[in-house]
Amino acid sequence: MSALVHAPGFGLFLTLAAYLGAGELHRRLGRPALLAPVLVAMVVVAVALELLGIGYDEYLASVSVLTLLLGPATVALALPLLRSGRALLADRGAVLLTLLATGAVSVAVTVAALELWGASDALVLTTLPRSVTTPVALTLGQTIGASTTLAVVLTLVSGVLGATVGPWLLDRVRVVDPRARGFAVGMVSHGIGTSRALAESDTAGGWSSAAMVLNALAMTVVLPVVARAFS
Amino acid sequence: MPGTPPPPPEPARGWAHHVPAVLAGLALLLGLQLAGTALVEVTGIPVPGAVVGLAALLALGARWRGVVARAEPAGTPLLKHLQLLFVPPGVGALTQLSTLVQNAGPLALAVGGSFAAGLVVAGTLLQRLLRRRVSA
Repeated sequence: MSALVHAPGFGLFLTLAAYLGAGELHRRLGRPALLAPVLVAMVVVAVALELLGIGYDEYLASVSVLTLLLGPATVALALPLLRSGRALLADRGAVLLTLLATGAVSVAVTVAALELWGASDALVLTTLPRSVTTPVALTLGQTIGASTTLAVVLTLVSGVLGATVGPWLLDRVRVVDPRARGFAVGMVSHGIGTSRALAESDTAGGWSSAAMVLNALAMTVVLPVVARAFS
Repeated sequence: MPGTPPPPPEPARGWAHHVPAVLAGLALLLGLQLAGTALVEVTGIPVPGAVVGLAALLALGARWRGVVARAEPAGTPLLKHLQLLFVPPGVGALTQLSTLVQNAGPLALAVGGSFAAGLVVAGTLLQRLLRRRVSA
């Protein structure tokens, strides 16, 4: 039994099985946002590791192929942007202004909230990349010296917030234009929000993934500068 | 069945028939990432190599559609199942749950606050700007 559990492929198998199982469960229950497959799979794998007595380092070595794929996946984010390129170029002024204003507000609120609370600089650094899509947030977190695992959880929380509360909040402030709705969700809650926006309409989904990529690019440039004030 | 027409030939997707499109696409994406990493190394700009690779694919793809067609067989499934790649770091975070709970107050305020403010600003601003363009 111990040979099986500690075989090099076991962690990878566990992760794939948990992800596929969670995806199937999600589909059968009518896609509730709170039971996002990634969250369910994370919990299942964490519990299994604990029960079977597998250390996190051993697990990481087993799933190194998944970690490796984050790089090419980040490069592939150019594809949805290229797909909606023409619509974005036609409205580039509006898009750029929204991108800058939202980025500034987002960073300012994050820093202000944590500073008012008297949180440590390390925590500020960790919270900054949270609205950026996860593969970029991970590498960006490493660049600015954040706790990357915690940064990933905050990123996931933002994503789930966007998928659950996002559409409701946009209704409250009377944003009805599908382009604006999609863009707003993509800006603050990246991939998880984008999959929810795609469910609203193709237009919303396209603008959402464009916002996700543009936000990642903008934050890659801006955050290292902001981070310098806290390290 | 006699008379059944032969299946239509695979649409030309860039590579020769004997090259598996998924592997070729993955090699292209990895190559762009590594080129980005090399550029970061040389110039010392504080940007992840993969993001430079993203910008490179953006520039190449806007100029040559063929590059997009070659990247898609690997890129599309990767993006569709991007969340699978987040499971390992997420598991690591669960083991750090105590940091999260300790700082739950400020974190909730920072994440929730910037989430709500960002969403409302982006939605209302872009809607107003797009509407003005149409009426102008």
